Amino acid sequence: MKTTFKKTLIAAGVAAVMGGIAGQAQAANWLFLQGTEPEGTAARAKVWGFIQAQYQKDYSDPNASGGYIPPKLIGPDLTTQESFNVFRARVGVRGTGFPLDSKVNYFFLVEFGNNGITQPGGSFAKITDASITLNHIKGARIRMGQFKTPMSEEVYQGIAIFDYINFTSYAGQQLIERTPNQRYSSNVGPQPLPMDLSNGGLTQFDKSVSAARDTGIQIFDTFKVKNWEHSYSVMIGNGNGLNYTDNDNNKDTYLYLSTEYVFSPKGGPFRPGVKAYVWSQSGKRLLDNTNDSTYNPQEHDRKRYGIGFKYLKKPYRISGEYNKAEGMIFVGPHSPTFDMNPSVPPGNGEDGEADGWYIDLGWYIPGTKWELDFRYDEMRRLIDDPFETKWKTSTLGFQYHFNRKSRLTVNYAIRDVTAVNYGSGAGPNANLDGIGDRLALQLTHIF
Amino acid sequence: MRMAYRWLAMVLMLGLSLSSFTASAAGEFAEQKIVLQISDPNPFKQTLVLNVAGNILRHYGQDRVAIEIVAFGPGLRLLFAENANKGRIQSLVDSGVRFSACKNTIRNMGKKLGHPPELNPNAVPVTAGVVRIVDLMDKGYKLIKP
Repeated sequence: MKTTFKKTLIAAGVAAVMGGIAGQAQAANWLFLQGTEPEGTAARAKVWGFIQAQYQKDYSDPNASGGYIPPKLIGPDLTTQESFNVFRARVGVRGTGFPLDSKVNYFFLVEFGNNGITQPGGSFAKITDASITLNHIKGARIRMGQFKTPMSEEVYQGIAIFDYINFTSYAGQQLIERTPNQRYSSNVGPQPLPMDLSNGGLTQFDKSVSAARDTGIQIFDTFKVKNWEHSYSVMIGNGNGLNYTDNDNNKDTYLYLSTEYVFSPKGGPFRPGVKAYVWSQSGKRLLDNTNDSTYNPQEHDRKRYGIGFKYLKKPYRISGEYNKAEGMIFVGPHSPTFDMNPSVPPGNGEDGEADGWYIDLGWYIPGTKWELDFRYDEMRRLIDDPFETKWKTSTLGFQYHFNRKSRLTVNYAIRDVTAVNYGSGAGPNANLDGIGDRLALQLTHIF
Repeated sequence: MRMAYRWLAMVLMLGLSLSSFTASAAGEFAEQKIVLQISDPNPFKQTLVLNVAGNILRHYGQDRVAIEIVAFGPGLRLLFAENANKGRIQSLVDSGVRFSACKNTIRNMGKKLGHPPELNPNAVPVTAGVVRIVDLMDKGYKLIKP
């Protein structure tokens, strides 16, 4: 299955390359929007960034035996069920340092907000992007540094224009990777409120989330054939998220292919078109899961792949994806072992599998600044495992666009999480029962 | 002898008409003559000068207005071969707009680049951009610097 998937990707890529003219795309082509500048027009240095201020309230009940598990609390700190937060505050600079030669672009971005990037370790700030793109070879642009890895467009797209406040369950758990702690770290159980943070509370991972980024080198480009744009990307990276250097002598490989029929070249990130894409990433991770004083990590495969589509022509938007995960299945920020219960065989995510899918609908109400959104997503975590769980979320949302760069987003998520092999209140359901709805508000301003 | 003078007159007239082609195919008969200057490094100015040219064309009609865009200094980037606006530039050229590129700037940029910049094939090099503007103004062109 995995080999066939990769062969399909490669074959499709060859077909795309042979059929088109290498060109520049600056609209909803995220390969370009996040690190490439329009030739001959880019500024030497353009300051860019965005702020996302949030309010979230969770309506979950405490566990039957008291205490709370992470899905019932507001991240990244997981200390309360209701909070305001400056979730993202990113500022950076991009451009072409030598305007006479706009074939060399750079992109630099730093995160100052409070989220999974900065919360672990209590970082004041964290560099999320630092890349240089060389546009000298038609058909094969080269990007090097730390940058977003092409993947599911729910995650790959610019987060500042994401139509929802929270990711789908699958994306938030299996694509926003948690890097294993270097030494064995034991799980913690449900915690009562107010939270005792002397042992880290429920956040037991000590490194930033990957934020869908890696440090490596990428070759990519887009080929235009009339109204069609065919894009590809091949990337090799350290497989160590935002932690710069390699830690295990293994490299991750990232493959991405997309094809889009463009209705109109105008519109920036909201360029109308219909797009389909496939992607995969594979690598290995070191995980020390023996509870002793010896550093003896084992290698585990980590594979992620998926397929998706997006139709956007105002006033309508329809998008959807199906994604699969093999190995290093995240089972919660309170479980750095990637194992729901190290004392029993079931529930071990090291070699487990998960999958997820979603459908998203958007309606930009004509003649107004309002937008209505609806998303339904499902995730199966630890497929075919006795501790398999199923996560279903319906998210109702609306947005008010003050202007092109400022908007208010309101989401109400109706959630249902069940351990499929257990009855109500039994096994994992003792904690999962009572996961309730969530209200979220977010104000975004791009500058 | 008379035939020789006639031939000479025809040759002279042909030469004059060819030289005036450098001013504009419509220039001598245009109701309006506009020279647009772009000398800024700001990328928004590139978009703006092209927008202004397009707006002027739409208002007067391409047969009734002569437009020349003169690029010098950092503004010469507009006329680089792979500039992202090359499609719009071609469209304006097809509507009769002329584009002039300052040779002084080309030479100076060449020194910095280590080779002459590759220009849009529609760009006509002129000795000096500001001199070209002055000459056009002497011919009745109005200067607009968006």
